[in-house]
Amino acid sequence: MHTNRPERRQSRTKEKLETENRGSQEGEIKTKKKRGNGEVERRRMRMKKRASATCPHARMPTYSLTFLAIVYIVFTIAVSLSNAGERVVRVGVYDNAPKIFVSESGKPEGIFIDIIEYIAAHERWKLSYIHGTWGEGLARLERGEIDLMPDVAYTAERDKRYSFNKVPVLSSWFQVYSRQGSGIRSLLDMRWKRIAVLEGSIQQEAFIRMAESFGLHITIVAVPEYDKVFETVSRGEADAAVANHFYGALHARKFGLEDTAVVFNPSALYYASRKGVNDQLLNVIDNNLSGLKKDTHSMYYKSLNRWTSEEVEFELPTWMRTLGIIIGLALIMSIIGAILLKHQVNMRTRELREANQRMEERIIERTAELAAAMEKAQAADKLKSAFLATMSHELRTPLNSIIGFTGIILRERVGPLNDEQKKQLNMVRSSSQHLLALINDVLDISKIEAGQLQLAYEDVDVRQVIEKVVQTTRPLAENKGIGLDFRIIDGDMGIKADYRRLEQILLNLAGNAIKFTEKGSVNIICESDGPNLNVRVVDTGIGIKEEDMETIFKTFRQIDSGISRRQEGTGLGLSISKRLVKLMGGSIRVTSVFGSGSTFSFSIPKERKTG
Amino acid sequence: MKKKILVIEDNEQNLYLIKYILEDCGYEIFSAMDGKKGIEKAASLLPDLILLDIQLPVMDGYAVAQALRQIPVLQKTPIVAVTSYAMPGDKEKAIESGCSGYIEKPIDPDAFASQVEAYLRIKDNNGGGDEKGCTNCR
Repeated sequence: MHTNRPERRQSRTKEKLETENRGSQEGEIKTKKKRGNGEVERRRMRMKKRASATCPHARMPTYSLTFLAIVYIVFTIAVSLSNAGERVVRVGVYDNAPKIFVSESGKPEGIFIDIIEYIAAHERWKLSYIHGTWGEGLARLERGEIDLMPDVAYTAERDKRYSFNKVPVLSSWFQVYSRQGSGIRSLLDMRWKRIAVLEGSIQQEAFIRMAESFGLHITIVAVPEYDKVFETVSRGEADAAVANHFYGALHARKFGLEDTAVVFNPSALYYASRKGVNDQLLNVIDNNLSGLKKDTHSMYYKSLNRWTSEEVEFELPTWMRTLGIIIGLALIMSIIGAILLKHQVNMRTRELREANQRMEERIIERTAELAAAMEKAQAADKLKSAFLATMSHELRTPLNSIIGFTGIILRERVGPLNDEQKKQLNMVRSSSQHLLALINDVLDISKIEAGQLQLAYEDVDVRQVIEKVVQTTRPLAENKGIGLDFRIIDGDMGIKADYRRLEQILLNLAGNAIKFTEKGSVNIICESDGPNLNVRVVDTGIGIKEEDMETIFKTFRQIDSGISRRQEGTGLGLSISKRLVKLMGGSIRVTSVFGSGSTFSFSIPKERKTG
Repeated sequence: MKKKILVIEDNEQNLYLIKYILEDCGYEIFSAMDGKKGIEKAASLLPDLILLDIQLPVMDGYAVAQALRQIPVLQKTPIVAVTSYAMPGDKEKAIESGCSGYIEKPIDPDAFASQVEAYLRIKDNNGGGDEKGCTNCR
């Protein structure tokens, strides 16, 4: 019970829907009717308007109806007349391509067919084709089973049985076609040969007549169908064949035959009809033909052209056709390719343009970023410079008073000092001087790294610089009991250099040498070498281990001296010296034998290098 | 008559140090802790020598030197910059601003008095400062 309810409800709704649909359909019909009525009324109105426009009187519809009736009657008569004039013309067809033949699709084709169809269309003939052999065709014509037989050569004998049209349709001649390599080139070569001809044809008669006139003994192989004539030769049942030149030109090569110089019986070809019957038909053909032959652009010449040019196409070797197809395909493909290529080029151009635009945008962006970075870097540089200047001042200011007051007290200007006080104050002074050296070196390194150290070039006498350095460092050497000397090999020591910085390098190297030499001596050797100045600082000190050679020029490196006391110094001297030499456009290097001494040598240009 | 030296220096300890050294040598020392006061004192005292710190608050040493040179009576007074050799071009900048010479900080107590004496002698000889003083303060 429960399950039934919804079903019933559903069916009810269905019914409802159906009735609704019916209703709507009826509604539609009604509206259509309404529309229909409206149209008829509108038409009537239009007609009325027209009638009133052409005729001033209101009763005019009666006249127009009469007029329409008359027109209808005249038209009907005309149509029946034209139907009566559309006569059926029965045409015989046989196979003698390209003059006349039935194509593979079963449709009659060829020059004679083209012409007769053109005339038929012109004269409202209905053509009916009857296909058969040449002999059958002629027999049907005699029996009155066909009205026309195309491609009939005129002979006096035929003239007794058939009627011919007067304007020749085609001029033809017969030719002998021989199997390739048969040796038949002229008429006399055909002696004792078997020659295939179309049975009962003009060429059969003519050929026999010609052969007899030359007294040649020739075996005639009569073949019932034109198609089979060449085939007979190619099969070896005959040595040569006789055919009209139209047929020969079209088919010889296909059967492996070649044309010979034997040409005979030029003839004219016509449409023929049963004797005495259909003369009117032949007259119509003549009228059309003479017109067609006068105009070189007429379908007559087009047909000739078509069928004779097709011969050439037909003779095209397979490879050539294949080549043609390939070339055609290649052409089509290349055109398609060109189109595709053009499309692609367009696409790529568009892409490139877009990429270019993106690139430009990015360049602008990056330039802005770079400019910002540059500004930032410049700001950072300024900050660094400011920092360095401030540090320089801030560190040195307190050192100034430390060193100054220590000096004053040690001089005992303030009052006498005992030995211990002196000893300790000397330590203060030494430490503060070391601190000052450190500050100076760190500042130098910073300045060089920030690219803010500029060399002040002036005329410098190197001898004077060396003398001053020796004079400054001599107390240190004397304290240690080692020798200190210098030697100048080349007398001319006038160069362009930064005096203070050159002195700084020499002080560093000489100071280092003395520091690390316990016995023996330190020697400064200077020589002028072409455009360069070479300076060597040679000591007989502790030397440098192999593994330390690389790191010796790095900052804060002080090699293990092997002596209990760590050597005084900032560990920056060699690093600064190397940078200064580089800044001057020169180079510095070290050679050493561990335990027996080191040689630091540097070379700088004597003239300032531009750029 | 004692030579008058004006020291323009903002650091008390350094000022005291310079004062101590130079008074010991028999000079009369005047001091100013900033540029503005320094210019005022220079104009009123007409010292024989002015020792000028470059890193001064508000008005730096270069500006003070330029201002001092604008005062006609001070045009031939030696002005010696006493400062740390900080950045390249500092020395040139000091000379361009009108300083006669330059003494590098930290000062050497033994050499300082003789350096000052040299600048005073230049004033006596030439009636003004020139760049010869620079050779003493490399």
